Amino acid sequence: MESNLIPALDPAPLPGPPWLFHVLWVVTFLIHLLFVNTVLGGSLLAALAGLAGAGKREIQSLFVEVNAWAISFAITFGIAPLLFMQVLLGRFFYTATILVAWAWLGMLGLLMVGYYLNYVAKFRLRAGKGAGAVLIIEAACFLVIAAIQVAINLLHMQPGRWARVAEQAWAALADPTFVPRYVHFVLAAVAMSGALLAWVAVHRATKGGDAQILSGMARFGVRAALVATLLQLVDGFWLLLTLPEDVLKAFMRGGPATMVPLTLGILAGVLLLVVLAQIADPLANPTRVRRVAELMVGAVVFMVLTRHQLRTIYLAPARANEQVTVAPQLGALALFLVVFVLCVALTVYALVKAAKDRPQAGEDAA
Amino acid sequence: MDYPIWNLAFGGGVLIGIVAITHVLVSHFAIGGGFAIAFIETLAVRRRNPALRALAKRSSLMLILVSTVFGAISGVGIWVTIGLVQPAATSALIHNYVWGWAAEWGFFILEVAMALAYYATWGKVRPRTHLLIIWLYFFAAYMSLVVIQGIISFMLTPGRWLETRSFWDGMFNPSYLPGLLLRTGICLFLAGAYLTLAALREPDRGARAGMVRLLASFQVVGVLLAYGGYRWWEHVLPESVRAIFLGAKALLPALASTRHLVLWALTAYLLLALFALAAPRFHRWPSAVAALLAAFAFFGGYERLREGSRKPFVIRDFMFSNGVLVSEIPDLNQRGILSKAVWAAQTSGGEQAKGLAVFRAQCASCHTLDGYLSIRKLVAPVDADMLNGILSTMREEGNEYTSGQYTHEGHVATEKLDYPLMPPLVGTEAEVDALASYLLSLKPSNVAEASHGK
Repeated sequence: MESNLIPALDPAPLPGPPWLFHVLWVVTFLIHLLFVNTVLGGSLLAALAGLAGAGKREIQSLFVEVNAWAISFAITFGIAPLLFMQVLLGRFFYTATILVAWAWLGMLGLLMVGYYLNYVAKFRLRAGKGAGAVLIIEAACFLVIAAIQVAINLLHMQPGRWARVAEQAWAALADPTFVPRYVHFVLAAVAMSGALLAWVAVHRATKGGDAQILSGMARFGVRAALVATLLQLVDGFWLLLTLPEDVLKAFMRGGPATMVPLTLGILAGVLLLVVLAQIADPLANPTRVRRVAELMVGAVVFMVLTRHQLRTIYLAPARANEQVTVAPQLGALALFLVVFVLCVALTVYALVKAAKDRPQAGEDAA
Repeated sequence: MDYPIWNLAFGGGVLIGIVAITHVLVSHFAIGGGFAIAFIETLAVRRRNPALRALAKRSSLMLILVSTVFGAISGVGIWVTIGLVQPAATSALIHNYVWGWAAEWGFFILEVAMALAYYATWGKVRPRTHLLIIWLYFFAAYMSLVVIQGIISFMLTPGRWLETRSFWDGMFNPSYLPGLLLRTGICLFLAGAYLTLAALREPDRGARAGMVRLLASFQVVGVLLAYGGYRWWEHVLPESVRAIFLGAKALLPALASTRHLVLWALTAYLLLALFALAAPRFHRWPSAVAALLAAFAFFGGYERLREGSRKPFVIRDFMFSNGVLVSEIPDLNQRGILSKAVWAAQTSGGEQAKGLAVFRAQCASCHTLDGYLSIRKLVAPVDADMLNGILSTMREEGNEYTSGQYTHEGHVATEKLDYPLMPPLVGTEAEVDALASYLLSLKPSNVAEASHGK
């Protein structure tokens, strides 16, 4: 049944070598995920900011201001991995999305609601009004989006489940790895956003500001990162143990290629715990707070690699007879590379200029 | 065809149309609006005009809210819907144009960053830096149109790509430049129409009249460019496409009516824009809203025309709207459509179940059972002999696509076929018989008999 339902490979050749698409996919997905973590974790921490001792309003303001940019960049950097993934695995991905079509389409509605609610919260907070309920709904939107993404991601690499899901779309959630995988992503997002919050508070403290509020922000960030990372270690092993046996065995037999990134990712998590546990007063330990942020990014990098490798293992039987042809479009590839480098350079140049350029006394501002 | 079928009562094509038209209305404003705001702020700085500055600032919030939020999400929405409704065509496009889309993505990064930075730096940076940001925004936004226009127009007029399979031949296809000119005009007039609404909020009458006149000039130039582009676009279309909506005996009267609507809407819009130019003080909310609606009617109508005139293809002369490739007709006639349509074939039962599978594989991408283009309504007045004749002709037409007999200037002359707007029927004779059996079972009399017999 499984192989019968897999659509035929697109007869058109790949317009570039497969390794290039894999590299571009992983790199752009990593950037996408960093923004996604900020959006998801940030909206959750903003919704839960009432648990902070001091600085509730500042925490909310920080995340709605950051998310006004981060949501846009999460969407923008989501386009590229979506493109490169479709080149390599389109027939698996399209099938999975069609099987849960309304959820996949509904994700866009949730995204739009979440994004506009962020602006509503931003303008309410700027006007001195409360935004608690708005932030809770916003966070709920992003939590559901994450669940849809995890479900589709699992479904596209398991053709054996397609027939069941075609009969009953809710069966898309009935995979033993769904819950631990979903929790894994949510906890990572919370941990990263907690680290970001602590880092911003520490950074602001070096420039002055209300020490009590900044301390409240930093403590809340460190606490969130600590709790999330602690739970993450437990959940990570739960996820590993719920993997299908053949996938787990193939992963373990992958040698250094698979075991090194996983081990480094777990090590980064353990180190994170150690460093976080040592931070009693974040404002007095700026170096440790910065170290947390660095370790967090490192852990995400290794886990993205592991995630990509797991997908390859999951899909190996279904792609065993795949006869891919390659006809590189070198001119078009050069066009992409030139445009990409130019646009990134212009973006960095303009943003740096915007951050540094300030009118002198007596000069007009824009 | 070999993917699962998402059954939508109102038709997948309608969903794509709704999402796409909503997106293009916003995305073209995002381009034209960028130019208009950059132009207005440049004038404001040079003339030290606070009213023009206020107009640029007021409009910039709208620009980021529609561009970076709605535009970005609805743009992804097009991806999502075409992947759900036309997965085979999406895959074909991705394999040919991934680097084009990736280049467009590069411009999109710059566009989004500049939109957010522009709004965030009002009153914070020197005017020179602020102008640099908005002009960079416009550059990126327009360049994304320059790229995406190649892919959009390719689907209707693939041109030399059909022989060479070259990325560049596909991008710079016959309708590329006409379409780009047309869309450039649309960007300009949409910006003028939207920003006029912002200008009408200016309390100073003299300043307001000046703004309305300036924006009216954007609209007049935009309409003229759009008209020139539209006529050029019609001119370069292959005869088989023109036959669908042009001439006294247009193959699709509904599309011919859309063309009339498009031209009348543009005429009405031109008159309103000229009115605003000549008498800006009298151009208030009613005429401004009417102008905006005329702009929407033209653009929406044009998009409908462009999509509709691709029939029966999704990529002209290459892939039909049901995902069947022109090149695979002989093979599928021999092996059977159900040998490829693995999802549609997931039915068990007799002749009618097999017919249902054939229907799902070939017809369900356009026809629903009782909703959009209802097949039940279409077969109601047809008897068995007529139906067999129709299906037999449709199957024979498949040979005409591959024999070259009806080929003219590289295009299949679909207008010479009996069913020029429908993909040919492919599959074995047994599959065609099964389809006939299934379709006849949908006739009201047969449904009643079946119900009565239970």
